[in-house]
Amino acid sequence: MKKRLGIISLFVLLFIAFIVVWNFSYQTGLEEAYIPIEKTATHSYIPSERGVFERSEFALEYANMPIDKNHQRTLDSYYDNRAYHGAPPSIPHTIKDEKSLGGNTCLQCHENGGFVERFDAYAPVTPHPEMINCRQCHVAQNSETLFKPANMAKVHAPKVGVNNALIGTPPMIPHQIKMRENCLSCHAGPAAPKEIRVMHPERINCRQCHVPTDRLVTEIKAFTRTNSYNNE
Amino acid sequence: MAKLSAMTAAATMFPGILFASEQEEGIPDGANLDWKKGPCRFCGVGCGILVGTEKGKAVAVKGDPNCSVNKGLLCVKGYHQTMCVQSKDRLTHALVKKNGKYVQTPISEALDLVASKMKETIAAHGKDSVAMYTSGQSTIPEGYVASKLMKGAIGTNNLDCNARLCMASAVTGFLTTFGADEPMGCYEDIDHADYFITWGNNMAEMHPVLFSRMLEQKTRRGAKIIDFATRTTRSSTASNRSILFEPQTDLAVANAICNEIINNGWVNKSFVEKHCNFSKGLTNIGYGTEDKFKFKDKPEKIDFAAYKEFLKDYTPEKVAKYSKVSVKDIKYLASIYGDPNKKVVSYWCMGMNQHTRGTWMNNLVYNIHLLTGKISEPGNGPFSLTGQPSACGTAREVGTFTHKLPKGVVMNEKHRRLAAKIWKVPYERIPAKPTYHATEMFRAVDRGDIKFIWTQVTNPLVSLPKTSRYRPGMEKDSCFVVVSDVFPTPTSDVADVILPASWHIEKSGLYGNSERRTQHWDKMVEGPGDTTPDAWMTIEVAKRMGYGDLFPYSEENHVEEIYNEYRQFHEGKKHGMAPLEVLKKESGAIWPYVDGKSTQWRFNEKYDPACKEGSDFDFYGKPDGKAVIWQRPYEPAAESPDNEYPFWLNTGRVIEHWHTGSMTRRIPVLHKAMPSAYVEFHPEDAKALGIRNGENIKVTSRRGSCVLPASINERGLPTKGQVFVPFFDENMLINDVTLDAFCPISKEPDYKKCAVKVEKA
Repeated sequence: MKKRLGIISLFVLLFIAFIVVWNFSYQTGLEEAYIPIEKTATHSYIPSERGVFERSEFALEYANMPIDKNHQRTLDSYYDNRAYHGAPPSIPHTIKDEKSLGGNTCLQCHENGGFVERFDAYAPVTPHPEMINCRQCHVAQNSETLFKPANMAKVHAPKVGVNNALIGTPPMIPHQIKMRENCLSCHAGPAAPKEIRVMHPERINCRQCHVPTDRLVTEIKAFTRTNSYNNE
Repeated sequence: MAKLSAMTAAATMFPGILFASEQEEGIPDGANLDWKKGPCRFCGVGCGILVGTEKGKAVAVKGDPNCSVNKGLLCVKGYHQTMCVQSKDRLTHALVKKNGKYVQTPISEALDLVASKMKETIAAHGKDSVAMYTSGQSTIPEGYVASKLMKGAIGTNNLDCNARLCMASAVTGFLTTFGADEPMGCYEDIDHADYFITWGNNMAEMHPVLFSRMLEQKTRRGAKIIDFATRTTRSSTASNRSILFEPQTDLAVANAICNEIINNGWVNKSFVEKHCNFSKGLTNIGYGTEDKFKFKDKPEKIDFAAYKEFLKDYTPEKVAKYSKVSVKDIKYLASIYGDPNKKVVSYWCMGMNQHTRGTWMNNLVYNIHLLTGKISEPGNGPFSLTGQPSACGTAREVGTFTHKLPKGVVMNEKHRRLAAKIWKVPYERIPAKPTYHATEMFRAVDRGDIKFIWTQVTNPLVSLPKTSRYRPGMEKDSCFVVVSDVFPTPTSDVADVILPASWHIEKSGLYGNSERRTQHWDKMVEGPGDTTPDAWMTIEVAKRMGYGDLFPYSEENHVEEIYNEYRQFHEGKKHGMAPLEVLKKESGAIWPYVDGKSTQWRFNEKYDPACKEGSDFDFYGKPDGKAVIWQRPYEPAAESPDNEYPFWLNTGRVIEHWHTGSMTRRIPVLHKAMPSAYVEFHPEDAKALGIRNGENIKVTSRRGSCVLPASINERGLPTKGQVFVPFFDENMLINDVTLDAFCPISKEPDYKKCAVKVEKA
């Protein structure tokens, strides 16, 4: 008798469990299939401001880094590598894998820099590592000859030491900063051209003291107002 | 400073920084410069500058390495400040309007006219028909003689200043909580704090030198910066954490932080028991948008239990719903303040002060610091920043507000007697009732109650809220307008007499910065034409009005003479000012200056000799030495977005320009970097409205409109449903759009919140 009661209650329990489970799965099955859409920002977040602080975690290292006098880049070679002032630099070396995207190849050296034995030089650091299709803008130089020579005049690149508004004031920024918002990537570290290497990378907030002068492509006239009482 | 060549000039710009020879190429050689020290002309940080002069012209500026404020560093404005002096439209001679045209007039004749007009007006309409409106950029002597002329000589309280528009809520916050104005700590707190929490404050652009000191602590010591704001800015991008809130809900979030602190047992019980009282004031206190608005708070003592009960409405869960700050973030903020092992400094400026509940908001942040006992010690404390170089030194300490005297307030007989004694005037002459605060003063001009107004060192027709009312008001013939300034401005455009003022380095003077530091400078260059220091013009007018015996100062030495007279007001351990000899030698000194020493942390017995012995902490501004924890609720803004006007309008500044831009826009470098104002959108709002970057947009409120180019994802990123406009541009007057609602206690207008609609222009 006891054995039978036990078996019956076991089945009753199983039956109740079945009803509960079945009900639960039925109810949840009634709900609409729903995949939450994570809202991703369609914009990058104030790029002209954010980039400034991007490599600031290396600032102290940059400040303490000894200068490798034998492997310094010059501003001349920096400009030589560009079709004109402000153009994306071309790739002055052979490329390991033609089919690869920058994330796998270029960034290995150009994300954080470092000495490259093969080229006997420090790899320059990109100011925009988040853009990984490098060769969308940067072309290789595979030939020394030209199809036809052209007369394109090179825009004069800014010089060093002449960008101060007053004697001794911090030099103004003589170039556009779009895609080059991160100052430290070009102005600090062993690959920075020696003429423009900042001596105080630990200051981080560069634009506290350095004003951009080349913000717009069109010339900005001096401040004027309609009412002036002089010479009246 | 010895004469230095330009080469070394560049090399010494930044102490400890060497420049490679390649980097100095092109810097002109052989300039023989003479360097003189002074404070910077612009913001309230009060950086020490050295100005290099050559052949009587200022040609270079560098940071003063001996100044503990900035340690040799400046910002874009500081480095280029002297470039505005030589602007082509500089006001060099007095101009008097005759038949609608400005006629160049000898300065003495113009001052004759000002004095006779003032006298005539008083004779015909009474003392309260003339007014003076000065500035937090006035030097200490300038503010002092203005106060002496109006309150001591003429006998009217019709004196207010533009600091009402920026610091009044900070003052009433300090007075209601501590009974004594100005921060207890100093900038050295930055070197000790573990956390910097900035409340509605974009320090990277507005107080860049202090921000650079914070960044230095962040990289070197791992200190953390938390940005709590309504807009994502350069400061947010440099911070460890950026937390955004819905405008006006900072009141609720601050209360929620206190609630968390109490519920988690993070209250510093012995500190609160020994050094704090609890009080509540009136609620539903209005917004002051109507003329002749009056309000007087009725403080009432409460106990801790009642305060705790009140905070039940401010649980993180309830507040998260309308503040749009997540529960997690509120608890995170509370846990920083609540951790007894973390030192925290709170910074704020206009976000909290330009607020229809500005006094309350200041009180609430003090509550957090008082509950946790994190106050008045190195690295711990609330710190109210200022916007103008002498908002503290002149407006607040000399007291160029309608209710103030150099020491105390006009309502207090003892204070009036002291002022009368030092000024040598009959005590009855100083009226006991305050008259017009800034906004009401210009309303009175519009109404025709004020028939003569003299503005100095300020540009109200760009900086007042709702200029759409006050510009036509000042243009009316009922009021004779005198404007002293260095450059023409929209305010001088409506003047009957324009007086040519000396700029900063063309006169001697004293400023007082945010950390109670008094700074002196000597005249460095000659001003052009008839330009005259503002203090001297006030004195000359006073003499012409027959008050010569009250102003016995000499033209060459008036700054020194006035300062020595003024110092008598503050004698004692609580506010003693450093003697001039010290200020001439050093790069400023912090008051209370006692026994030859600056007091860096007030109210703490260890550092402040004015504290009672054995008190540990003594908030001696209050009779019982106890600070007040205020019960202040959340109340909505004066105007919130609705169907017709769906956007919040927030206004502010940019790093390149200072206030109304009358100086910085005449500095070519800064103008070119930021040539015009703009209206900033959240990218999603811009997309929904089909607005592209640079497109002209008309921003309209119930008061007026303004057309500006759109700016999307450039300098800053307002939250969705909010637009931001900087106010520096006199060609795009956003203050035609803003609302003149103010904090009923401080009378400081709220420039950060009103409702607008936007459309393509």
